[in-house]
Amino acid sequence: MPPFDSEFFGGSDRLEMAADTLFGLVGKLDELAPGFADLAHVRAAFAIDGVYTPDWSSSLKGASEVVLLPRVAGG
Amino acid sequence: MSKLLVSTSVNGDPQQFLCDPDTTLLDALREEMGLTGSKEGCGSGDCGACTVMLDGRMVCSCLVLAPEVEGRQVTTIEGVAEGSRLHPIQRKFLEHGALQCGFCTPGFIVAAKALLDRNPDPSESEVRYWLAGNLCRCTGYDKIVRAVLDAAAELRQDRRAVA
Amino acid sequence: MNAPAEKKLFRLVGTRPIRPDGIEKVTGKAIYGPDFVAPNMLQGAILRSPHPHARIRGIDTSKAEVLPGVKAIVTGADFPELDSAMVAGGEAPANIKYMARKCMATDKVVFDGHPVAAVAATSATIAEAAIQLIEVDYEVLPHVIDIEDALRPDAPILHDDLFTQGLPELPTTPSNAAMRVEVRRGDAARALSEAAAVFSGRFTLRPVHQGYIEPHACVASWHADGQAQIWCSTQGHFTVRALTAGILGMEIADIRVVPLEIGGGFGGKTTVYLEPVAVLLSRKAGRPVRLAMKRDDVFRATGPAPGAVIDIRLGAGADGTISGAEVEFKYTGGGFPGAHEVYAGLHCTMSYYNVPDAHIVGWNVLSNIPTVHAYRAPGAPQVNFAVESAMDELARRLGIDPIDIRLRNIARPGDTGGMGMPHGAIGYAETLEAAKAHPHYSAPLGPNQARGVACGSWGNYGGPSTAAVSVAEDGSILVTEGNPDIGGSRASMAIMAAETLGIAYEKVRVVVADTSSIGYSMGTGGSRTTFATGKAVIQAAEAVIAILRERAAKQWNVAAGEVQWGGGEAVHGDRRLSLGQIAAASGTTGGPISAQAAIDPHDYLPGFGVHICDTEVDRETGQVSIVRYTALQDVGRAIHADYVEGQIQGGAVQGIGWALNEAYVYNQAGLLDNPGFLDYRMPVASDMPMIDAVMIEVPNPAHPYGVKGVGETPIVPPLAAVANAVSGAIGIRMCDLPITPDRVYGLLLAAE
Repeated sequence: MPPFDSEFFGGSDRLEMAADTLFGLVGKLDELAPGFADLAHVRAAFAIDGVYTPDWSSSLKGASEVVLLPRVAGG
Repeated sequence: MSKLLVSTSVNGDPQQFLCDPDTTLLDALREEMGLTGSKEGCGSGDCGACTVMLDGRMVCSCLVLAPEVEGRQVTTIEGVAEGSRLHPIQRKFLEHGALQCGFCTPGFIVAAKALLDRNPDPSESEVRYWLAGNLCRCTGYDKIVRAVLDAAAELRQDRRAVA
Repeated sequence: MNAPAEKKLFRLVGTRPIRPDGIEKVTGKAIYGPDFVAPNMLQGAILRSPHPHARIRGIDTSKAEVLPGVKAIVTGADFPELDSAMVAGGEAPANIKYMARKCMATDKVVFDGHPVAAVAATSATIAEAAIQLIEVDYEVLPHVIDIEDALRPDAPILHDDLFTQGLPELPTTPSNAAMRVEVRRGDAARALSEAAAVFSGRFTLRPVHQGYIEPHACVASWHADGQAQIWCSTQGHFTVRALTAGILGMEIADIRVVPLEIGGGFGGKTTVYLEPVAVLLSRKAGRPVRLAMKRDDVFRATGPAPGAVIDIRLGAGADGTISGAEVEFKYTGGGFPGAHEVYAGLHCTMSYYNVPDAHIVGWNVLSNIPTVHAYRAPGAPQVNFAVESAMDELARRLGIDPIDIRLRNIARPGDTGGMGMPHGAIGYAETLEAAKAHPHYSAPLGPNQARGVACGSWGNYGGPSTAAVSVAEDGSILVTEGNPDIGGSRASMAIMAAETLGIAYEKVRVVVADTSSIGYSMGTGGSRTTFATGKAVIQAAEAVIAILRERAAKQWNVAAGEVQWGGGEAVHGDRRLSLGQIAAASGTTGGPISAQAAIDPHDYLPGFGVHICDTEVDRETGQVSIVRYTALQDVGRAIHADYVEGQIQGGAVQGIGWALNEAYVYNQAGLLDNPGFLDYRMPVASDMPMIDAVMIEVPNPAHPYGVKGVGETPIVPPLAAVANAVSGAIGIRMCDLPITPDRVYGLLLAAE
């Protein structure tokens, strides 16, 4: 999950966990690293199995990999 | 500081306005006469967005003091079209997509008209050097230069048709 | 200027009609930021810090207050206390506390030109005189400008409460390094140790300014019921609304922002500088207030793009396959943290090559210059300059053609990208192949001339957009959108609406509505407008078509499903009803016809460009001229071909300016030495040749007309394209920008 790993997860760039939705996943990551959820809401984006997924209520059922990306818009 | 009364001609119409001695022509046009087509990009004569004609000479109106135009003829972008009929340079700017944000466009059109009034058949290089005092940050100048060359060609054709 | 065979698919998409706002803009009628006048308006002025770094011990406004004509004075003390909080108002999340401090200093000034007080008066002359009467008691502090100096252990610290983010352990001492970001994949060190050729180098760039010709300006009017109206020139009026509300603690719906025409932005007008100050002045004075910058204010106090120091090690096998990369880039952040260029830099570093083993580290380093702000592909040109220079060196050392080495490594659809995501329908290889086949690439060169090639990419963006399509009583069409038109986007919206509805382009009129007249739309930036807002316009037009089919079905007394729409008409068997006929009958079939789409698309695709640049070096003076330039770009599909080419040409020339001329120059006192267009030398017409813009169309399948977004990509390749050409011409690698005559002359002299 670069580039957030150093900041929040002590350098581990891959975590295994179960969650129903991206909201659930963010909640679990926030338990591991308090403060993560607040920043994620404005700064992070997710891709589920290679598909960029802006709707955090999307189901993670059957998903094998979620990639965490910085949100970058541009000029 | 008491105000000065200035009598001049703007786009062919008589104009009178009051200004401080240190008011620029650009500020007088924009603030006193409501002619906001001339733009201030720098206020130091470096960008050409405020280009107007003064007695047929191209000037940066930010470098002219308003009292200096007493008794003289000023032409601004608002005076380039004849009523609702666009000048060929204006039309060619539209046809070539030679503007993006459009902020520098009035200055370019006045400057291009000044060029074509004295040189009806400029080379690309002559257009580029004549317009070197006008900054455009959007277009990279390519389409502006093409529009001016195309307008020049059309104006030459019109003149031949008349002659 | 190629014409793809498939263009015949569309009636209007890809054509070049006259823009709907064109007449106003060539006749001087269009109202831009500095042109707007409100009745009974006061003129404002801002007092700015003459020091790059100082503590404010006190501000005495008493003399200014009694100057006749002065109606209001505002200092940092008038702003509400704010906690650090991220708001997602702009094109990137922003810390509202720092946003407020940037608009008006409180305890400290952190750059030359930092606002410390503002005045509203009955004339500009009185306002200017009043700010000269304000006495500020400064305790001048040591300052720091350059990146490496700001990182020294003994460097003056800008913010005592700032600790580097992104380190494994939160540090205990404050630092000017606001943030560190990192991406690792594979084992870069091992890959580099096994490479046939490795290039290592350090590249540096100075901060540069966006250089829009229109200085920032706004008018604000606060009303006694707590509501306010703002007229301004901005890339995102919803951003202005959110940031102003956040800074002043107001309700968002209490602020109405009316976008005026905008005179260029390039990312620099996606934030606020003046608007919150103008609202506060208006609140105190009870009258509308105009605040407008002069050119030197723009240079001294608005966002330059970051300067950079970039260390790169790039290795390749004998066949040119990139084996590994180590990149560490440090970007200037300016006075306050929050710059997101480092994230974008991380995204963009070699994003278009397949590099399995890479270690990339980015830093945001604060110093006493204005807070950096987005500039066209923010964060990409700097690191790309290093990457594409290194590629050029590897090609030279391995004896491989510069385009061939890039083709060997280029990502293709389905390959895994740098962030672990598979690439979609990208046209990188097609663009490189087109560059190789372009006559420019094989044209002969004259004496002292050399050719440089470089690629570049930008991720593009989608994001929230709202658009409405309404049918007027006679069947003409109104499109209402929320994105300021900075380069012809009204024309693109009209083309897409007319194409979808099957009607003439001239039947469609487009309005950019204020924040209270259309739903939320993210700003015009990120190369997103034609993609995302265009998609909203198309969806709203499709919803209108559904209503039109229903209305025709009612008139014919058939089921709506049996009615087709084509050629601007409802069709049922051999019966036809035109849009005008359906509109005229709307009073008896159910009333007005309109639809709105509010969407948040994220199926955008990146842009990719390849630039070919021929330079000629005058060995007597060191002067570099651009003698021929070709820019090829995968644009997805062009909607209005002129304005797509225009983006490519304009972006290329901005990049050429960055490569050859432009730089922020600070003197020993930490003051900006070149805050004007005479000394900050942007390209002028006589510096440039024609820029041959070649559109490669590999459509985005997620957009009905294939749009990918084009605005930002073209500024990414030129820095290296120019530097590679100059390096080839004189046989010395150009590692530092800008490539000014004195620099080239000095290098030539040293080499002799």
